[in-house]
Amino acid sequence: MSPKDANWPGRFFCVTGLLLLSHSAYSTYERTTRTDLAYLKAVDRSETGLPLDIIIECLVSVLFFMVGVTLVAGDLKEILMETEMSKQTIDKLDARPSFITFNHRGRKGARALKTLTKRNL
Amino acid sequence: MFYPGCDDVSITFLEVLSLLAPSETRNSMSSFNFNAAVTTLQELRASGERNPELVVSLGNKIVRGKYTGGLGDEVWPVYEQIIIAALDVGDFQLADVRYNSASSSPRLTCLTALEKRFTRSTRVQRLLGMRYEAEGKLDQAAKIYEEILDVDETNVPAAKRQIAILNTRGETHEAIAALTRYLDTSYNDPESWLELCSLYLSQRMYQQAAFCMEEVLLLQGSNHVWHLKYAEILYTMAEHKLALKEFCRVIELCEDHVRGLYGVQLCTSQLLKTAPTVDLSDLNALATERILAVYSARGAPDELKRVVRRYLESA
Repeated sequence: MSPKDANWPGRFFCVTGLLLLSHSAYSTYERTTRTDLAYLKAVDRSETGLPLDIIIECLVSVLFFMVGVTLVAGDLKEILMETEMSKQTIDKLDARPSFITFNHRGRKGARALKTLTKRNL
Repeated sequence: MFYPGCDDVSITFLEVLSLLAPSETRNSMSSFNFNAAVTTLQELRASGERNPELVVSLGNKIVRGKYTGGLGDEVWPVYEQIIIAALDVGDFQLADVRYNSASSSPRLTCLTALEKRFTRSTRVQRLLGMRYEAEGKLDQAAKIYEEILDVDETNVPAAKRQIAILNTRGETHEAIAALTRYLDTSYNDPESWLELCSLYLSQRMYQQAAFCMEEVLLLQGSNHVWHLKYAEILYTMAEHKLALKEFCRVIELCEDHVRGLYGVQLCTSQLLKTAPTVDLSDLNALATERILAVYSARGAPDELKRVVRRYLESA
């Protein structure tokens, strides 16, 4: 993947989503440890379920994640292979880099450049 | 501009050489975009395209401008890429450029830095062999590859470099024999089949070249470029019917591919001379129409379209 510049809105949304999710998860844990399940069974009352604010917090974190991930993800590529392939040139595909030989006329390229710069051409 | 030894070919070569100029001679040092350069090098590595001038110009900026620290772990494949491109261009200074790091010795070169990091690595040995090849010391390079293959018989890059040495020496028949032996064992390597195809084409053995392209098509059948090459070899062998099928496949895979359209037009023209049918003449007319439409869409002047139309009518 290409090195991207710091995509701070996306990262901000992802981080806040993560914080909200972990906070709601911890609140649920606190809630279940604090309610006395033995007492509820004795009084014949069922569990009241999660309080509304924890549920809302969890759903809000999902929304934040959705926005954040869309912003952080890179550009999408075309799904049809043809559009990708039509951009490929023969030079890119038929290059055979493992078999390159060095006895071509360009092998004096760097030396020629040095000579030319010395002669100020 | 005239100096002894200059000919027309070198004039355009000079323009290419300007790309090799190190950064100090240009004013673009401040606008050097490190991220863009790294991305370009990555793309070139992924596609395997042979563009040594570009790699050397970027490599010069990165290494001599001391940007290597920003590469992190990516520095090793980038060094390999820069070394190979420098050998391609004949810049042995860049291939041996000093590797700047606070911890290691300042007189370390790119190649020895790779050797130090990856001790007893066949990949680094191969680079050393390529360096000897570029200098023209083919026997020493051959010895290195033999050593690699003594240790590990199945080392693919070393075997391929041996074939490249045979190519460098101009011993095409031995190269064909060696490549055939190699392909007897590893037959799912499209690059080697393509190399064998180009060797056969250089010897005008079109039947065998067509066979090689068929093997490539077995491996990568959705690539229109291989179908195009196969179709053009068939057309050269005067197998017009099969060539027409392959050219149609090219257009099917890549819409409005001009070279494919030309192929369809020429094949149908040849076939119409011997066995004319309605389908063939329809296809002929369609191909002509599409070619002219593509030329118009790309803004070709009317003069050019007239020339193309006259050529297609006479073909």
